[in-house]
Amino acid sequence: MIREENTDSGSLLQGTLEMLVLKALARGPQHGYAVAEWIHHVSHQLLKVEEGALYPALHRLEMRGFLNAEWGASENNRRAKFYRLTAEGTKRLDAESQRWARLSAAVAFVMQSS
Amino acid sequence: MLPAISAFLGRLRSLFRGRRMESEMSEELAFHRERLREKYLQEGMSEKAAERAARVRLGNAQRWQERLRELWSFRILEELTRDIRFSLRLLWKSPGFTAVGLATLALGVSANTAVFSLINSLLLRPLAVPQAQQMVVLSTQEGAPQPGYSFCTPFFRGLEGKGDVFQNVFAFVNDTLQVRGESGNVNVHGVMVSGQYFPAMQVKPVMGRYLTPADDQEGGGSSGFAVVISEDFWKTWFNGVPDVVGRSLMIANASFTVVGVIPKSFTGADPTHHPQIYAPLSADPIIDAPRDHLHGGTHAWWLTVMARLQPGVDLEKANAALQAVSTGVLHTSTGEADWIKDEEQHHFHFAAEPGSNGFAYVRSVFRKPLLMMFGMCGGLLLLACLNLASLLLARGAVRERELATRRALGATRLRLIRQLMIESLFLATLGTGLGMALTPIVGHALAAMLSGGSGPDSMSLDISPDWRLYGFAAAVAFIAAVLIGLMPAWRATEGDLNEQIKNGQHAQQQRRQTRLIPRLLMISQVALALILVSGAALLATSLVRLYRSGLGFDPHGVVNISFSMDKQQLDGEPLMEVYRQIWDGLKTAPGVKDVSFQFVVPLSHRGWNGHYAAPGGERHLLWLNSVGPDYFNTMRIPLDQGRGFTWSDTKSSGLKIILNRSAAKLFFPQGGAIGRQIVDRDKVAYEVVAVVGDAKYRDVRGPAAPAGYVPMQQDSQKKPSLSAVVRVDGPWQPLVQFSRELTARLVPSIPAPVIRPMDEVVDTSINTERMMALLGVFFAGCSLLVTAIGLYGTLSYATARRTNEIGIRIALGAQRRRVMAMIFRENAVVATIGCGAGLAVAVSLSTVLTSFLYETSTRDPWIFAGATFTLVCVASAASLLPAVRASWIDPMQAIRSE
Repeated sequence: MIREENTDSGSLLQGTLEMLVLKALARGPQHGYAVAEWIHHVSHQLLKVEEGALYPALHRLEMRGFLNAEWGASENNRRAKFYRLTAEGTKRLDAESQRWARLSAAVAFVMQSS
Repeated sequence: MLPAISAFLGRLRSLFRGRRMESEMSEELAFHRERLREKYLQEGMSEKAAERAARVRLGNAQRWQERLRELWSFRILEELTRDIRFSLRLLWKSPGFTAVGLATLALGVSANTAVFSLINSLLLRPLAVPQAQQMVVLSTQEGAPQPGYSFCTPFFRGLEGKGDVFQNVFAFVNDTLQVRGESGNVNVHGVMVSGQYFPAMQVKPVMGRYLTPADDQEGGGSSGFAVVISEDFWKTWFNGVPDVVGRSLMIANASFTVVGVIPKSFTGADPTHHPQIYAPLSADPIIDAPRDHLHGGTHAWWLTVMARLQPGVDLEKANAALQAVSTGVLHTSTGEADWIKDEEQHHFHFAAEPGSNGFAYVRSVFRKPLLMMFGMCGGLLLLACLNLASLLLARGAVRERELATRRALGATRLRLIRQLMIESLFLATLGTGLGMALTPIVGHALAAMLSGGSGPDSMSLDISPDWRLYGFAAAVAFIAAVLIGLMPAWRATEGDLNEQIKNGQHAQQQRRQTRLIPRLLMISQVALALILVSGAALLATSLVRLYRSGLGFDPHGVVNISFSMDKQQLDGEPLMEVYRQIWDGLKTAPGVKDVSFQFVVPLSHRGWNGHYAAPGGERHLLWLNSVGPDYFNTMRIPLDQGRGFTWSDTKSSGLKIILNRSAAKLFFPQGGAIGRQIVDRDKVAYEVVAVVGDAKYRDVRGPAAPAGYVPMQQDSQKKPSLSAVVRVDGPWQPLVQFSRELTARLVPSIPAPVIRPMDEVVDTSINTERMMALLGVFFAGCSLLVTAIGLYGTLSYATARRTNEIGIRIALGAQRRRVMAMIFRENAVVATIGCGAGLAVAVSLSTVLTSFLYETSTRDPWIFAGATFTLVCVASAASLLPAVRASWIDPMQAIRSE
């Protein structure tokens, strides 16, 4: 009966994580573990994706129609759930990366100002 | 697809495949953990350490799945199903409480919706025609408080052509048509309509055409008289043959051509009649032969007139236009000059009133009783709701600790109220549902009661449900749920929960305040019950007095067999010979003791009267009947002086009359009526041959009117259709077949005779009173039962909470009798206040019953005393049981149980 509510900061992070997940899947269908590993790897071990945030993000994206999920065989031949970007998801990724580019440039301007 | 829609669909999907999604989620997580473990192993960890690290990293998998599940589910829906399941379990655990709650509610709801369905069909439902709101009913105003709704032909024809405010003005009259079947004539329900009737209704026929002004002319249209038939009649009479248009029907021995079929959805302008045949008004001289209303001038008031307004014209304009033409129509009506002058003095004019739901004569008769009944039903429903509310409240008090604990564990108050509301909503919906299921049965029973059995004037009410009824039922369910649930729910969750947990059973300090609401509820219940009981007592007393008032004849074991002789060939002496043969025939039927004939069946609301005077005396109104030999013996009307009629009282033997006591006293106050004469308006003299006892003529209510009887052979009427009155020993049903065969043998061309027991005629004549008294008593019984259950239930719950206290009292030496008195007193106070309040309201409300009561005062102290006494008895009985039980509490057990 205890209701968990998302704080504002949480939703900001959530949005960023979702963008990263979409980006990870732009390379092709992946399962959740690979998505986490890829982000960890590509970010030079700077970003560590918590599983407790990753899976809700994946499911949320699936539910909203940005991802399709299907069961397939993993590299070591185990059954795994693979996520694939939908057309909507690709559009969303474009929009998000543009938004991110603008936001980071703006933040950079502010931080570099003397 | 929009993300929101996609998410909604996803959740919807997850509702139906919950189990599969769960297993997929755990499989996905298991896969992730496995890969993590493999990674740690590769990094050189030991098997055990890798396993533990993976588990630690993933955390509590249960909590995770919970989060994912939340993502996919409708939160509110899930909580709701949980609440419903919980409520169901609780209700199931106390079946007695649930059953009582459901039964009382079902009763209240079914009574309400059933009466509403009658009101709906009789008063609310508009005609099944386009733009029904344009319809108006026309009336005549002559200074009397009540407008007249009957028109004569000249008035109607005078208005028919007034097209500036009305699109159409039309008239109709319900009638029974004699249609030639395979074996003789058959009576069929029909209506005669004027030429503008169908153009005004704007209904499309199923096939063929409807009647037009061209059909409503003397002698019919170009190809004779036309009729339109109903879809039902087409299917039953013509077996639904496709080429029915153009076929002919023999109605009243004349040929009519079927020109169209009217759809089932259209039932005419009178919602209480469902005509099978629509014939033109101009055919009246044939259809009603030997009578002729069409050419009866201002002496035949036989038509109901309605009109359809022009678009954009309102009632006010229509009334102004009618007022303007009134005098003109009156003067061209061919009425006698005296009469026209008299009418003019009374400011005669025509008027229009809303007619979107057509015109039904019975409406004026039944409107008040129906609304009255609706009020009684509402009272019963309110009582049922109050009862449930107080029971729930009492139960809520028992559950105080459970609720407090739940609140302490973090449940919000809103959540608890929601759960309690769901419980009551559940009871309310189930109860309403049950009530709705019962509604058709109750409704049909009421409609049958209202429409007066199988009599010739019976009406058919369409009580099939429509959106109004469903809306009403939904509103009732909703109001019931709120009434039942909100207050107990709100009460049960208010207050300081710490105190409640601490105190538990001993919550004594707030008792005075917290028990005000349940007491008020119980008091209003008792008051309501008393109102219903005293109302029922008034109605029942009046009905008993009505039955006891004496009819002047003995209806038990008498049946009326009516013969329609108006369309066969014989008249005068030969027809009387047929009646005599019927008389002889009926006498041989099994069980028949006496046989006679009468023209007017007493109390059938039909009448025949005239003004008569003793020579040199004043003229008086006399109600008349033409009767056969042995009539007074058959009816058991005492013959005071003189002799009854015989077959030899023919037209040539001199006109005879028999007076009842009232009439004899009126014409011959000094007595000695036998052998004297009275004269009618045309100075025709009748010789009084006997004086008989007073018998009720048209109405049971009020004393018998002065009446005279003439021999049937001397009746000047053409082809009189008489009823045989037969006194039977034992069952009368065999007479149906017997009289049918007798008629088929003697006069094969007439329809099968209609048999009606005299008891039924009497009952029908006071069916409003009967229905109201029956329902009133039934409702009063229900309300007594409900109140008893309420008083018993609340007191039982209250006593259960005080077990501990009572135990201590007894342990400390309180006498059991004192304990009993203490518990009993709680309800005694409630019942006394309730009775007082109820009595005050009942006495002031009872005046609305005045018009339904016969020789019964609305202030009759005995009736109110009796009602109060009954209620007090029931309340005492209901309160005694918990009190006795409380006095038997074992102090040791009671104290230990805490």
